Amino acid sequence: MGSRVADGLGLAFVGAVYVFLLLPIVIIVLMSLNAGEFLTFPPQGISLRWFGTLFANEAFMRAIGTSLKIAAIATVCSTVIGVAGALYVVRYSTRFREGLRMLLMLPLMLPEILTAIALLFFLYASGIGTKTMFGLVVGHVLVTLPYVFTNVASTLYNQDASLEQAARSLGASPLRAFVRVTLPLIKSGIITGALFAFVISFDLFNMSLLLKGIGMTTLPLQLFDYLRWDFDPTAAAVSTVSILLTLAVVIVIDRTVGLRSLRFG
Amino acid sequence: MSAAVIPAAGSVAMAQRRPQPLSRRAFWLIVPALVLIGVFLLLPYLNIVSMSLRPPAVGAPYGKGFTLGNYATQLTDSYLLGVLGDTLLLGLTTVPICLLLGYPVAFHLARTKSRWGSLLYVLVLSPLLVGVVVRSFGWLILLSGNGVINRMLIDIGLIETGLQLMNNRLGVTIALVHVFLPFMILPLVGVIQAIDPTLEQAARSLGASRLKVFWRLILPLSWPGIQAGTILVFVLTLSAYVTPVMLGGAQVKTMSVLVVQNLIDNFQWPVGAAQALVLAFCGMAAVFVYARISGLFTKGIQ
Repeated sequence: MGSRVADGLGLAFVGAVYVFLLLPIVIIVLMSLNAGEFLTFPPQGISLRWFGTLFANEAFMRAIGTSLKIAAIATVCSTVIGVAGALYVVRYSTRFREGLRMLLMLPLMLPEILTAIALLFFLYASGIGTKTMFGLVVGHVLVTLPYVFTNVASTLYNQDASLEQAARSLGASPLRAFVRVTLPLIKSGIITGALFAFVISFDLFNMSLLLKGIGMTTLPLQLFDYLRWDFDPTAAAVSTVSILLTLAVVIVIDRTVGLRSLRFG
Repeated sequence: MSAAVIPAAGSVAMAQRRPQPLSRRAFWLIVPALVLIGVFLLLPYLNIVSMSLRPPAVGAPYGKGFTLGNYATQLTDSYLLGVLGDTLLLGLTTVPICLLLGYPVAFHLARTKSRWGSLLYVLVLSPLLVGVVVRSFGWLILLSGNGVINRMLIDIGLIETGLQLMNNRLGVTIALVHVFLPFMILPLVGVIQAIDPTLEQAARSLGASRLKVFWRLILPLSWPGIQAGTILVFVLTLSAYVTPVMLGGAQVKTMSVLVVQNLIDNFQWPVGAAQALVLAFCGMAAVFVYARISGLFTKGIQ
C-alpha cells in the first residue's frame, strides 16, 4: 500500500518536471495566437494577426533568411567533412582512432562562447576579419561537425565493412563502392546528423553574436535585440516559427530513423 | 568495436598487394576535418593566451608588447572577484537542482514500458533543440512583474502585488535549470538503462527494502551518468551568456556577461581574454577536484 502511494508521488513528480520542461515553449505558442495587444495571459481571443505583423517585419524576415542561408551552408560543409572524417576514423584509422575521435568531438566539449572568442581574435589577427560571412560560417561548421561525425560514425560501426570490400574486389572503384554500397547503408546516420546540424546552427547564438559582420544579423540575434526594447506578441510569433521548424525536424528524424538513435556525444 | 577493428586489419592486408596503399590514400578523407580543427580551433585557442597577455590600448583592440596586468586586475579587483564568485555559485546551485529534478525523470524514462516512451523522450529532447533565446523568452513571459505567474497568483488572491521573480538570481537559476536539464537527463538515461534489472530483483528477493536497493545498488551504479551530467551542466552554466542577460537584467552579472561587454562594447580584447581564461581555469579546477573527490567516493562503495 505504502509503495503504491510512493509510486504515485514519484509519477506526479516526474509529470511536474515534464510540465516544467514544456511550459515556456507552450506559453510562447499560446501567446503568438493572442488577439490582444500585449503578452497577457489568458490570451484575449485567438488570432493569427501577429504572424501577419511578423511577415510584414522586414528586419525579422531578413534575419530568418540569413539564418536559413548560414544553416544551409554550414550543414553542407559539416556533413561533407563529418562523413569523410567518420569514414576514415571508423574504416581506416588504426593507431590513432581514439585520439582522432576525441579531436573531432572537441568543439562540442569546449564552451561555445570561448570558441567564439578564440575565433574572433584569430580572424582579426590573421587578417580574415568579420567583414564577410566566412568567419561566421567556420564557427557554425565547427560547432555542428561533432553532431554529424558522431551520428555517422555510430551507423558506420554497425555496418559490415566487408560489403564495401566485396564491391571493391569485384572491380568497383573506391568512389563507386562508396556511392553504391556504403552510402545507402549509412544514409540514416547522415540524415540525422545533417538535420541535427541544421537545427543547432539555426539556433546558435554566442558564435553569431561575436562573429557576425556589421549589419548582418541572424534570427536569434534579431529576437534578442528586439526583446531589449519591445515586448509584444510579434516576438512570440517569430519564436513559434522557430519552434515549428524544430518540431518538423524532430518529426522527420523520428519517422526516418527513430529519435533514440540520436547521438549527442 | 572488435567488428570494426577486423576490417581495418583486412584493408591493410589488401593494401600490400597494391602499388599505393588504400589506407594511405584514405588519409585524405580526414584532412579537411584536421585542417578545420587545427587551423580554426587549436590555433585560435593558443592565440587567446597570447591575447590575454597584451596591454589594453585606445582606438585598437589591443596594444603592443606583453604584460600580466590583465590577470593582476582580475585577481585583485574585489568587484571582479565578486562576479567570479557569483558565477561559480550559480553553477553550484544549478547543478544540484538539475540532478534532483532530472534523476527521477531519467529513471522513469529508462524503465518505462509505456507506449508513450518515445513521446516522453521527445519531450526531454525538444527543449534542447529549441534555441536558448526562445526558451529564455518563454521564461520572461512567465516570470516578469506583470507575467503569467504573477497574474495567476494575484487572480486567485494569494498575493496582492507581483513578486520579484526575475532580474535576480532566482529568475536566472530557474531558466538555467530549464535550459540545461536535458543535458543532465540524457546521460543518466543511458547509464540507468544499462543497469541489469535482474540485479534489482535479486536484491529485493534477498529481503532488501526498495529504499535500500536504491541507495546501495541503483545510485552507485548510476554514478558515471551522474558524474557526466553534473560536469556538463556545471560547465554549461559557467559559460552561459544569453540566460543571465535576459533574466538577470542589470542585477545579475556573470563572467560571460563581463567578457562579452569587454569584447563588444568596451573593445578591450586583452581584458576579456584574461577574464575568459580565468573563468575557464576555475571551471577546470572545480571539475578536477570534483572528479577526484567523486572518484574516492565510488572507490569507497566498491
